[in-house]
Amino acid sequence: MKTTIQEIDGKIVATLSGELDTAAAPQAQTDLQPLLESKGKDIVIDCTELEYIASSGLRLLLGILKDAKEVGSRVVLKNVNEVVRDVLDLTGFVSIFEFE
Amino acid sequence: MDNSKRSWMSRIGIVVIAAIMVEIISVVQYQRTRRLMDEEMSVRSRVILNSVANDIAHTLELTETTMRENLWEIVENLPYPDSAFTSVRLLIDDNPHVVGGCLAFVPHYYPSKGRLFEPYGHKDGGKIVLEQIAGPDHDYTKNNAYQRVTASLIPEWSDPYYFGADSIRLATYSFPVFDDADSLAAVCGLDIDLSWLGDTLNSRHHFKSTYGLLLTKEGELVAGPPESKVPEAEVDLIVDIINGNAPESMVKGKLIQTTNLNRPPYWQLARVYSTEEVFARIRKIRLQNLLMVLLGLAILAFMINRYARNEKRLRETTAEQARIAGELEVARKIQQEMLPRTRVDGVYGTLEPALEVGGDLYDYYIRDGKLFFCIGDVSGKGVPSAMLMSVIHSLFRTISAKMESPSFILRALNENLCRDNESNMFVTFFAGCLDLYTGKLHFANAGHDKPFLITQSASVLPVKANLPLGVFPGTAFEEQECTLSPGDALLLYTDGLTEAKDQNRKNFGRDRVRELLDGCIADAGMTPEKTVQSLSQAAHSYSGQAPQSDDLTMLLVKYEPGELLQDRITLSNDTADVERLSAFVKDFCGRLELDHKAASSLRLALEESVVNAMNYAYPAGETGEITVYADSNRREVRFTVVDSGWPFDPTTVLSADTTLDAQNRPIGGLGIHLTRKLMDSVSYCRKGTMNVLTLTKSII
Repeated sequence: MKTTIQEIDGKIVATLSGELDTAAAPQAQTDLQPLLESKGKDIVIDCTELEYIASSGLRLLLGILKDAKEVGSRVVLKNVNEVVRDVLDLTGFVSIFEFE
Repeated sequence: MDNSKRSWMSRIGIVVIAAIMVEIISVVQYQRTRRLMDEEMSVRSRVILNSVANDIAHTLELTETTMRENLWEIVENLPYPDSAFTSVRLLIDDNPHVVGGCLAFVPHYYPSKGRLFEPYGHKDGGKIVLEQIAGPDHDYTKNNAYQRVTASLIPEWSDPYYFGADSIRLATYSFPVFDDADSLAAVCGLDIDLSWLGDTLNSRHHFKSTYGLLLTKEGELVAGPPESKVPEAEVDLIVDIINGNAPESMVKGKLIQTTNLNRPPYWQLARVYSTEEVFARIRKIRLQNLLMVLLGLAILAFMINRYARNEKRLRETTAEQARIAGELEVARKIQQEMLPRTRVDGVYGTLEPALEVGGDLYDYYIRDGKLFFCIGDVSGKGVPSAMLMSVIHSLFRTISAKMESPSFILRALNENLCRDNESNMFVTFFAGCLDLYTGKLHFANAGHDKPFLITQSASVLPVKANLPLGVFPGTAFEEQECTLSPGDALLLYTDGLTEAKDQNRKNFGRDRVRELLDGCIADAGMTPEKTVQSLSQAAHSYSGQAPQSDDLTMLLVKYEPGELLQDRITLSNDTADVERLSAFVKDFCGRLELDHKAASSLRLALEESVVNAMNYAYPAGETGEITVYADSNRREVRFTVVDSGWPFDPTTVLSADTTLDAQNRPIGGLGIHLTRKLMDSVSYCRKGTMNVLTLTKSII
């Protein structure tokens, strides 16, 4: 599991690649800490290379979304593949995230 | 009640109408007969009347003829005055009807005899008394008849009159007697006794009321029946009819027919008969017939009523039987529908109730890759047994859904059955649980027949008997186990098989079953279905014509696991170990050649379950193990997650509400929700000190 964070056109873009399972979640949590300090900037999470996500990963995304909403930022999930999309569907996350 | 009264009334109505019709027919026939008989009687009566008239006329004519024949002798005696007495004797003597006679000579015919001379004779006893009766106090020249005859010179008959102390009815025939010089010499009078006329008139009657009358032209009675018989009013009536010149008339039920002698003295004859008397007999016969018919109808009505009532009863009974039969048929269907209908490879069962419904049952179904099956026999037969059977059936389903151990299942069943079991019914029962991936068979028995184990040969599975269900609460049912090899089978049956009776009440027996099973093992083409059917046929042909004595139930369970893929991994309760789990699942799914999506689903479901156990099974800070078994027969995948932590059933945790918005979303609860969504079944059971969570998913 690899994560990168960049700022592109005033948006914070986080790229997740690999498998976000329970074992990988604590590291990802640490890696994505900067997103919690977005200070009103919109967040884009690029999932193009995200192959798998478990509920621990979902909780991570939910935490980011909740914090962003508090400061009025948007969180957009980008290029979600079918496997991950199914999990988001099953958990109702499709209705609380924005997709691109 | 109202209905039956109405139908009874209608039946009575029919009989009454029939009676009325019979009466109408009878009346019409009577009237027709009467008319015909009236005509016949009238004709006959007239024939009789005419015949009597002819008789009388003939008799009178005979009398006149007698006179004429004796006239020459009288004429010859005329020159001798005293011979007149001889002439009178002659006249009287010659005719039985003549009772007296006289010769009234014209005045001064014999100068020697003076002006009046009338020799007279009459019969007195056997003798004839002769005397001269003319005198100053008897001047016959003043007699009407004498005057008429001397004037007209034509014989005449007088009207009848009574004469003498005996009041004999007489009539006098007077005729002129001429001498040789053709001058009138005397008037001869002959007194004729008319009493014989009455006899002639009334000698030939068939009916008491019939009588004949002879009357003068003026209606004076000449002769008739004994007087008591004829009311005077009737005589007046007859006279009226004669005067009206009607040949016959019907008055007050009496037919009056008249005719006359058609010769001097032109007397009238009448014949009267009462049609009432004639028809009284016919009417009596008619009434008798009518009574007979009415009696017959009454008997018929009674019989119809009885028949109708019996038929109604029969109809009601038949309807009731049909209703019960219909309900039993429905019950039979329900019972058959309770039997498992999903086909499971290697499993075949049959239940043939002896009556419409039976007290046997069997069931099987697969849960968590394990085949749960049972067979039972409720004491007794028919509806009561069937009712208890359906209770047990649903109890088995309910209890075994949560429990895996046959021993526990039997125990729970027993407790349920013992509660309020006032009818003291009991059930012999055998329950088993076969792990389809391992062949491990757990079973427990409650007094049921020991099943056959079919391996290389057929043998009786060594099963502890135990008490049947429903006898004592708190009974323990020892759990036993064995492991089946692929191809091994178990035949469960009820005593309907081994105790099938032949004509001589001998049992089919276990040995026969064993022999038949051995035969089936030798035959490679025998499927479980064919094996069970051949056993059933054998039992039926053994019984022959004898009725099926008990419900016949069989369940054959054959262990046919197919090609199995099995693996296991033991993890510590550290989420870092999820990495190893991920690798394990990927490898397993790779061996099953599952695509990325399907493999990801299985991985996620298992990961969530295992992480759950890692996080919550053991107290914080304590290390523990979690073992994951993965099994597949290439049709289904089964994961079994086993830990030895606190008893904890994750399936009772509420799923996360996936409809809430981001702000209100709780962080937890997603794991079990995902597992449930992704797998076909998720079930938990506590086995000893272990939590066992089983996940299954079809991969076809």
